[in-house]
Amino acid sequence: MSEGPATRALLDALEPLGAARRETTDLTSVTLPKAAIVEAVGLAKEHGFVLIADVFGIDYLTYPGHQGKRFTVAYNLRNLDGTERVFLRVDLDDGETLPTITHLFPGANFMEREVYDMFGIAFEGHPDLRRLLLPEDFEGHAHRKDFPLGETPTLFNEGRFLDPAAFRAGLSGADAGLTQWKGGARKGTVSEPDEGGRS
Amino acid sequence: MSVKDLGRAATVVREEQHGEFETKHMRINVGPQHPSTHGVLRLVVDLDGERIVSLRPQIGYLHTGFEKTMENRTYQQGVTYSNRMDYVFGFGHDLAYVLSAEKLLEARVPERAQRLRVALVELNRIASHLLFVGTGLLDMGALTPFFYTMREREQILDLFEMVSGVRMNYGYFRVGGLSRDVPDEFVPAARKFLDGFPKMIHQYVTLFGKNDIFLQRTKGVGVLSKETALAHGLTGPSLRASGVSVDLRKTAPYSGYEDYDFDVPSYTEGDLLSRLRIRIDEMYESLKIVRQALDRLEPGPVKDPDRRISLPPRAELEDSMEAVIFHFKLATEGFHPPRGEAYVPTESARGELGYYIVSDGGSMPYRVKVRVPSLINLQSLEPMCVDGLFADMVMNIASIDPVLGDVDK
Repeated sequence: MSEGPATRALLDALEPLGAARRETTDLTSVTLPKAAIVEAVGLAKEHGFVLIADVFGIDYLTYPGHQGKRFTVAYNLRNLDGTERVFLRVDLDDGETLPTITHLFPGANFMEREVYDMFGIAFEGHPDLRRLLLPEDFEGHAHRKDFPLGETPTLFNEGRFLDPAAFRAGLSGADAGLTQWKGGARKGTVSEPDEGGRS
Repeated sequence: MSVKDLGRAATVVREEQHGEFETKHMRINVGPQHPSTHGVLRLVVDLDGERIVSLRPQIGYLHTGFEKTMENRTYQQGVTYSNRMDYVFGFGHDLAYVLSAEKLLEARVPERAQRLRVALVELNRIASHLLFVGTGLLDMGALTPFFYTMREREQILDLFEMVSGVRMNYGYFRVGGLSRDVPDEFVPAARKFLDGFPKMIHQYVTLFGKNDIFLQRTKGVGVLSKETALAHGLTGPSLRASGVSVDLRKTAPYSGYEDYDFDVPSYTEGDLLSRLRIRIDEMYESLKIVRQALDRLEPGPVKDPDRRISLPPRAELEDSMEAVIFHFKLATEGFHPPRGEAYVPTESARGELGYYIVSDGGSMPYRVKVRVPSLINLQSLEPMCVDGLFADMVMNIASIDPVLGDVDK
């Protein structure tokens, strides 16, 4: 993406805040200290980046050769006609929190909630910091790299518990499982009488 | 307040003393299985009589973890998931995904593939807007237009079936091009559709355009000012209906959109009527683009010739050991884009859509973050509905065109 006048002016304005330009990508991407992020987003808004496209997290836990803090939260801001775009980034360790930007951009509400939901990064001063996509009583944060892919026992409301292994066993008929399916013939299949494990 | 409390329908939430009288707000739970919510959208609405006091969307019922799944599949397998998010505008999601992946790879997509992609995406945009018009009016009680719009949508889906084999979840685009060339009968069939379709749009408009009931229910209803829309991150046709004439296809062209001649319609009213009209206008513009794309279609390859990206042709596997090796490598582990990050914003039928992909040099993306328009646009529902009537809420939901697969990812 070509860098227009607004981007250059913003980069100059961000310099005193301790902004470090990231050279690893073609995108206009800047890392800022945590304390300066709200001011930086405000500056971006003043420089014409009036639309917040996204706020998202990245977990660098398993990134080969990664040094520094584990999480990154990136703010994707664009100008009105979408010709210029900047990514402001903050690096965070597990347990650190970020100040909210919902007072500058009310539209960041869902975006910050999603980061909180998926990475467990809390936003101070957020008006309604609840999980966005996952159930309220879900344990863990699904987009962390140490969160397993599938095979996670899930506890639902009212104590209903779903254990993947037991669920699969129930489907295959090896065991009554959650579905209480006793392993009878399915359409198009002929089941052999088998006493193993069935009641 | 916990979800349980929110869910208790028709609970008295607030009591106010006005002299001797008591005013009680009523909390109503709409959805998630309500037919007018276009999927599984759940809204918790506080009412003062018929007037909406506050509205909160509760989402996530369709959350499938596509991003996490894509991080554990190869790049080429990603197209299986991208179109399942917005199942009404699948080609658009595929395009946004492959563009970001191609940017990482620096793949060279052949001209023919670019043209076909644009034609298919624009046809898909028409199909999506047709569904919008049909179901949107259905929510208002107008049953007839739905049958007409679905009839034309059917023709477009037939075209999609012709090229990809399926009517939904196409998975036809590939990183580096298309999975295969379109059949010979595609272009004549598409042209036949293009010739007949403008008459059909005219037909819908005459069905409801001057209807007094329709105008009274939409004109000046659910007004969203330009400032509010921008503050809440609204993008796409709904933003253009509020007086911001911005289309990424025009201002930040991708996939060769700069070559096509089309207009960006916009309205300044920001009400329900303009949000509906703008989609009808956009169908005409999409028609123009499809026609131009088909006119400029030249025979040629549809895949990047680079063997490290695209599978070798079947015939080569018969007599070339090298082709077999490349085939094996691609089929088992896929390609390895260099380290880096890419984000290519595109204009979906609903707003800005882009895939932010972080590559660690492996054969699977390290992080995929989808900027889904429906999710962000949903935040504009509250300013749109508050102080309006409860009966207009359903139309307001329809007017920002949320697809719940796109909301919940």
